[in-house]
Amino acid sequence: MQAWWQCEIPYPDVDKKITDAADSVRASLPNRYCDPARAADLFHEVLDEFALCDELGMNVICIEHHAGINSMIGSNPMITGILARQTKNVRVLSLGTLVSLRPDPVRVAEEYATADTILRGRFEIGFVKSGGTEMASANMQPVNNEERYWESIDLIKKSLTSHDGPFSWEGKHFSHRHVNIWPGPYQRPHPRMWAATGDPRSAAEVGRRGMTHVLVLRGPEGTKAAYEAHRKARREAGLPKVTTDNFAYAALVYVGDNDEEGVEVGSKLLWFLNTSLKAAPQYNRFLPGAAPPVAAPGLYRTKPKADTGLGLKDAEKGVTTASQNSQKLLNITAQEAMKQGILFAGGPDSVYRQIMEFYDKVGGFGQICLVGRSGHMTHAESSKSIRLFSKEVMPRLQAIKPVEVG
Amino acid sequence: MPNETKTDRITIHGIELEVRRRGAGSPVLWLHGFQPARPDARWLDLLGRRMEVIAPSHPGFGGSARPKDFESVYDLLHLYVALLETLSGQVSLIGSSFGGWLAAELALRAPGRVDKLVLVDSLGIKVSDRETPDILDVFNTHPAKVRQAMWHDPDRNGPDYDAMEDAELVSIHRNWESLSLYGWHPFMHHPRLAYWLPAIKAKTLVLWGENDGIVKPSYGEAMAKLIPGAQFAAIAAAGHHPEIEQPDAFADHVVGFLAR
Repeated sequence: MQAWWQCEIPYPDVDKKITDAADSVRASLPNRYCDPARAADLFHEVLDEFALCDELGMNVICIEHHAGINSMIGSNPMITGILARQTKNVRVLSLGTLVSLRPDPVRVAEEYATADTILRGRFEIGFVKSGGTEMASANMQPVNNEERYWESIDLIKKSLTSHDGPFSWEGKHFSHRHVNIWPGPYQRPHPRMWAATGDPRSAAEVGRRGMTHVLVLRGPEGTKAAYEAHRKARREAGLPKVTTDNFAYAALVYVGDNDEEGVEVGSKLLWFLNTSLKAAPQYNRFLPGAAPPVAAPGLYRTKPKADTGLGLKDAEKGVTTASQNSQKLLNITAQEAMKQGILFAGGPDSVYRQIMEFYDKVGGFGQICLVGRSGHMTHAESSKSIRLFSKEVMPRLQAIKPVEVG
Repeated sequence: MPNETKTDRITIHGIELEVRRRGAGSPVLWLHGFQPARPDARWLDLLGRRMEVIAPSHPGFGGSARPKDFESVYDLLHLYVALLETLSGQVSLIGSSFGGWLAAELALRAPGRVDKLVLVDSLGIKVSDRETPDILDVFNTHPAKVRQAMWHDPDRNGPDYDAMEDAELVSIHRNWESLSLYGWHPFMHHPRLAYWLPAIKAKTLVLWGENDGIVKPSYGEAMAKLIPGAQFAAIAAAGHHPEIEQPDAFADHVVGFLAR
């Protein structure tokens, strides 16, 4: 198993009175609450933490989110570019530029090919569907977001793998008549591609495409179901079996000297769930396309109707939508989060055990992604966990070799 | 014979449309806004006493199918030009809100078929400077604020979701999704339509709810100024839907204008 560390570089220093009063901490919260000097400190602290990961041999992930306290990485390629030059040892995953928000996938392919070249092939490309508040902040059509997502991935892949001069692309969402990027990627045919999704339909597509499939804070049932949808789609398409390497799980992770310290400090990561997810209804349940029309009774009614026939559960075949998932996570406690496999926290032995219990519950995975710093966790606390994880937990996880899963 | 709303289905270019019909006489095509016409609406009854109102649900709204990739006002205009061809003689067009945008475009595209045009709290053009939105962003604004902006009397006239059947809520959300596809960007207008409004040949009445907070009466006045000879009239104690909040005053204006 490989380990990957990430921090979304949130901005936690907005007064609670303000975040409590705001209907959304994303998309609409004024940036006057973000002190640029404090923001600069946070960027540098986290970039130092990435450098520490590089020194200790833990791979790193650079995410992207827009216009909110949850993350200041609105510009993934900029941070990826810094990591491309500053890391010397580990692999770098961009997870990723939110491609369905970008008007020109060819530009994204150029950025990724550049990063892979500077990294001399230590680069991996991840795709995230985006949604919710980011439809507002990027001014993008929410209803056919997923369609745009797949078309942009197709165009990026073709841009990265074409080496014989210009080609033309006139798709439904993107038109680019003269695509010819320089340089192409360092890795041929292209860097490994990841995709983050929990819904069974997208999971099936990720499976058919053979991408590395990452689940973020989905808990054991949702994760197992998504992995299975991935494998089932491959079986049905007559594609070869894959190994656990194709599966990844991202959780809040904190390692302390002992269980007490690990859980206490690790609980700070819950800020991500209980503060940074708050989104107003127009970015959430009423966002067109976020939930299928059949889910409407549960979205519109202020009080439940006795015999509501069409619940969201039916609509999504038991899997909740991302926005509903967020709602459930808002008020979660540390104990509940640990029970749900959303938070792995404690001393080294305990964290190893928690990860492996989760591994067994979901049928195995080859990549563990640590959401290692969030909320009010300090630089010192985060660095400590990186050191302990890298030295005490990671070697044991690395000993777990990929196994074929069909 | 009692005057009642009939619902039938017509097929245009292979697309099955739900159409409400009411009354008899000269044909009037109603192009709806964010939600299709309700068959029991009083304004429909009042207009139906004097004319034949034909009110299709746009593809993706109400009981109308929306074909794959049919996602643009471009598609809707081709559809409605084809629908106009199925009607005999000249037709009056009434467009409400988003449907007003369609009606103005149709008056330009099929000038020989459209003799009179009524635009009711219509969307479709850009009026103010680039930093002043003309139309409330109904997708990115809190639903409670949208409701306040939409109705003169939201408690009396706004929808009560708790009282609705599941099927109606499902339909409302599907309509919302379709509206987003057609109107998300550029938001509820075509940047070049204002330039073309002066070419409208049809006699035009621009009607506005005096308290419309989605799109202000001044926007309607700007529209009326751009269309040669257009009249503008405001309806008191009404928001974005004067036909629902003041059906009698609304019908008086429309019947008065179309009968002339």
